[in-house]
Amino acid sequence: MINATKKWIFLKLSSLALLPLMVWFLFNLVSFYDKSYEEILLFFTSQPTKLLFSLLIIFAYFYSALSITEVFEDYIEGKKLKNVANKSLFLFAIIMPILTLLLLYKLSL
Amino acid sequence: MKENNPLSPHIQIYSWHISSLVSICHRITGILNIIILTLICFWVATLLFPSLNYSLIQNFFGSFFGKFIVIGIVWSFSFQILSEIRHLFWDFGIGFELRTANITGLLVIFGSFIMTITIFILGRGLI
Repeated sequence: MINATKKWIFLKLSSLALLPLMVWFLFNLVSFYDKSYEEILLFFTSQPTKLLFSLLIIFAYFYSALSITEVFEDYIEGKKLKNVANKSLFLFAIIMPILTLLLLYKLSL
Repeated sequence: MKENNPLSPHIQIYSWHISSLVSICHRITGILNIIILTLICFWVATLLFPSLNYSLIQNFFGSFFGKFIVIGIVWSFSFQILSEIRHLFWDFGIGFELRTANITGLLVIFGSFIMTITIFILGRGLI
């Protein structure tokens, strides 16, 4: 299987996983966004929020990294600049979920 | 080595169609959504510091502008969800006919607003 096919399959699988997670998050976001510190802390440190929010973050950054590379492919001309942009994007997409998962773990302590 | 990969034509020379509008909005909301998620991660990070005056954030979200931002976030994600569903149908070879593509494009545009209102009303328990 060529890399482009693998990338396409991963993109589609992550988008399928993201659809219910995004709907879940939106319903919760509108219900808690203006709540107090204690209520929001309780929301993010209780289950199933911790698990679902972690999955949302992992899949969202993974999906975004794959799809934004397509935008770079279409709009960035120089190969060197495109490589830098892609590598920075992948680094960001790895670091952010890890930091967020650590953050959720620390909040739960 | 010179790369011969052609670039996409710039948006100002496009003759606007529903499909191109939805496609461009899909890309814009995709990038916007990852910026929003990053800001949400930072928002969650503020919970680590109880000494920070959280009421400032609470007051911001309680303001008209705060509500506007939240509704904007819901719209951006709703648009992405519906547009992605349209793409998934395309992946199965469904909906490529011009008329169908125009109808589904309109469904994504208007549906995103309806979905935003529905999520906001149900999520806030207004019904």
